[in-house]
Amino acid sequence: MSQLFPMKQVLGFVFSILLTTVALAVYFLDMSFAAGMTILLVTAFIQAGLQLVVFMHAGETKDKGAIYTNVFYGLIIALVTVFGTLLAMIWDM
Amino acid sequence: MKIDNSLPLEYSTEENSLKILGFWIFLGAEIMLFATLFATYFTLENRTGSGPTGAEIFQITPVLFETILLLTSSFTVGLGIHAMRIGNKKAMISFFSITLLLGLAFLGVEIFEFVTYVHEGASIQTSAFTAALLTTLGTHGAHVTLGFFWGLFIILQIKKRGLTPQTTNKAFIFSLYWHFLDVVWIFIFSFIYLKGMM
Repeated sequence: MSQLFPMKQVLGFVFSILLTTVALAVYFLDMSFAAGMTILLVTAFIQAGLQLVVFMHAGETKDKGAIYTNVFYGLIIALVTVFGTLLAMIWDM
Repeated sequence: MKIDNSLPLEYSTEENSLKILGFWIFLGAEIMLFATLFATYFTLENRTGSGPTGAEIFQITPVLFETILLLTSSFTVGLGIHAMRIGNKKAMISFFSITLLLGLAFLGVEIFEFVTYVHEGASIQTSAFTAALLTTLGTHGAHVTLGFFWGLFIILQIKKRGLTPQTTNKAFIFSLYWHFLDVVWIFIFSFIYLKGMM
């Protein structure tokens, strides 16, 4: 039975729950917008990385380089899209 | 077909490895798709017109349920892949079934949430904010719905054909998709719900 629950994945799950709980602090505690956003950005990106490495086995085979390059490419385009839009439409720069 | 036994079954042929890499490239495109939805949402989130604001309609309880359900389902599909790698077909099918049930429960809560929004006067046509919100949530929900049926067919095929290089490859690619849906949810949870309720 215990071999069905590898330590790495169980710890990954526990850590995900922990990060979700930390993120919930912005709802239950009173804090400034900047502090809240900082917490959310940190917990969200750590949790996404955790999924990628622990659960999706991104770095397991010889295609590791291609997989990470592709994910970072997608991520860069995503960040440029989101922050570019914010710059032009919301922050008026 | 050259089978490399030093690798897990789902990677064991050249074709299998390429299919997994190809799916990662698809996921890269999905990251960009959701980025455009988030960009639209952040632009329009304060354009509520005469409709309700996020702070008025978001409720922490269903959101927490959805988060826990999807997070746990991502864990169980990971356990399913682990069971598959040690050749335990029965355990794998059980973990995949639990995953799909959790996915179904997630969809149930999300549908309940959408019905509540519409009752509170926040339908997709109410304001720029509700249009962007429901399009973003709906695109994610549609992905989960597709994933449910995809997973169902994977289970049926594994039941019928057993753990072969083909079926394990399909199951592994499905697991990548399912984990990805959880990753997208983390961002929805953080930057739509929690940010909106802060």
